[in-house]
Amino acid sequence: MITIDRASKVFLTRDGEDIVALKDASLTIGDCEFIALVGPSGCGKSTLLRLIGGLLPLSGGTITMDGAKVTGPREDTGIVFQAPTLLPWATIKDNVLFPLSLMGKLQPDSKAKAGQLLEMVGLGGFEQKYPRELSGGMQQRAAICRALLHDPSVLLMDEPFGALDALTREEMTLELLRIWTERPKTIVFVTHSISEAVLLADRVVVMSPRPGQIVEIIDVPLSRPRSFDQEGSDEFQRCARRIRELIFGRRDARAA
Amino acid sequence: MQPDAIALPTPAPRRKKPALWRRTQEFWLPLVVLTLLVLAWEIACRVFGVPAYLLPSPSAIWGETWAMRMQVLTHAGATFTTVMVGFLVSVAISLPLAVALTSSRMIANAIYPILILTQSIPKVALAPILVVVLGANELPRIVITFLVAFFPLVLSCAAGLLAVPPELLELGRACRASKWQELVRIRLPFAMPIVFSGLKAAIALAVVGAVVAEFVNADRGLGYLIVSATAFFKVPLAWGALILLSFMGIVLFQIVVAVERILVPWSNDNGKL
Repeated sequence: MITIDRASKVFLTRDGEDIVALKDASLTIGDCEFIALVGPSGCGKSTLLRLIGGLLPLSGGTITMDGAKVTGPREDTGIVFQAPTLLPWATIKDNVLFPLSLMGKLQPDSKAKAGQLLEMVGLGGFEQKYPRELSGGMQQRAAICRALLHDPSVLLMDEPFGALDALTREEMTLELLRIWTERPKTIVFVTHSISEAVLLADRVVVMSPRPGQIVEIIDVPLSRPRSFDQEGSDEFQRCARRIRELIFGRRDARAA
Repeated sequence: MQPDAIALPTPAPRRKKPALWRRTQEFWLPLVVLTLLVLAWEIACRVFGVPAYLLPSPSAIWGETWAMRMQVLTHAGATFTTVMVGFLVSVAISLPLAVALTSSRMIANAIYPILILTQSIPKVALAPILVVVLGANELPRIVITFLVAFFPLVLSCAAGLLAVPPELLELGRACRASKWQELVRIRLPFAMPIVFSGLKAAIALAVVGAVVAEFVNADRGLGYLIVSATAFFKVPLAWGALILLSFMGIVLFQIVVAVERILVPWSNDNGKL
């Protein structure tokens, strides 16, 4: 369980100005829950993600994970970024093994595990290829495997499908749901896409900028397993409309 | 609307493999052009009777150089040694320097102005002073070669180290990688393609640096040979030394390119300059 209690983050610019990236964010995330963070640019969703990952120090408030305060990066956390950021000089398999080897935790069975993971995301047979030989979507699948290999209990995803084309994006959304079903874990997923957030998440955290803060947390009552068919359902539309209202204000939401 | 819409299957255009002379033209075309140029040079010298001290004919250059081939080779060997030692010293100093420059703002602020200063010194003017300070031996030549060659290498190494995507560094931190691991496992390999563009500049400049040093102070080397040959109006020999020097530059450059292809196969630069 992750408990975020009035977490704040203030950045100091070069001119010595304070920028409040996140203000008094409070949220409790249950085990194996899928949380989506949605909001316009500058609402602090990426900042919140990095605070949970311990990649940034808090300016105020606390974040605890299973009772322990988050003070730095934890090994039971996996991260996926918008860009695949694979190492260009390493094979796909070595890329997947990279975090474990950095942590000095390579086990005799790690390679087999990496192979299984790659098989699971449809990259079987590409283990010995180099990143440049794969498409963007395939690279991002490999990056997801890289984050999953040490079997973290929390997966942090910062707009992981943001750089993919629309079709690949839909494919990857279903793929992620399948992975999550096979290997349940807590996922915090940052996105710009309202429909992506509703389709994926148990709860959607809507955020607003200046200063970045949580506006509302919306429960998504859609049944699982989810599919794109549900996009037409009333529940889906109601959730999406509510999020739109929160982000754009009531009038714009009706017009849209 | 479309009368006769049944499309007849058109025969696929026959794709012939380009002829051998076309596929290899990248290699032989420059050679042909070069040969023609040399030929024109030879003919021009003979037809117009150009005196050898102004512009010796290619045959005269070849003749005089070949006649002194053992001496010329010894000189070339001396220059080669200076170039290589100077180049290796540049590499050995530039990489750690770039790591230091990029590791902290304070170090960068402290060192960078001094680096700029070393670049604003005219190396040709510095050479005679260095000879007095360091003695008339190989050392001042290596120092000059180093001073000429190392700066672009430091810059490209630093640029390469800073070009790492921030997400990759975040990944490293998320894996609790130490600073040393971050440097060796992420930053340095990532910098390699850009480092190699610096190495290519450095090897070319090292040849220039070695010759500059030999002009000022040397008893051997191709630079020395050019100075002493022209002093005795042996202009064809000076030309021979010059051509050999250019050849050395090209070969060394191509060696760096070849090493890059082996060590950094992921570089986008491959196949280009």
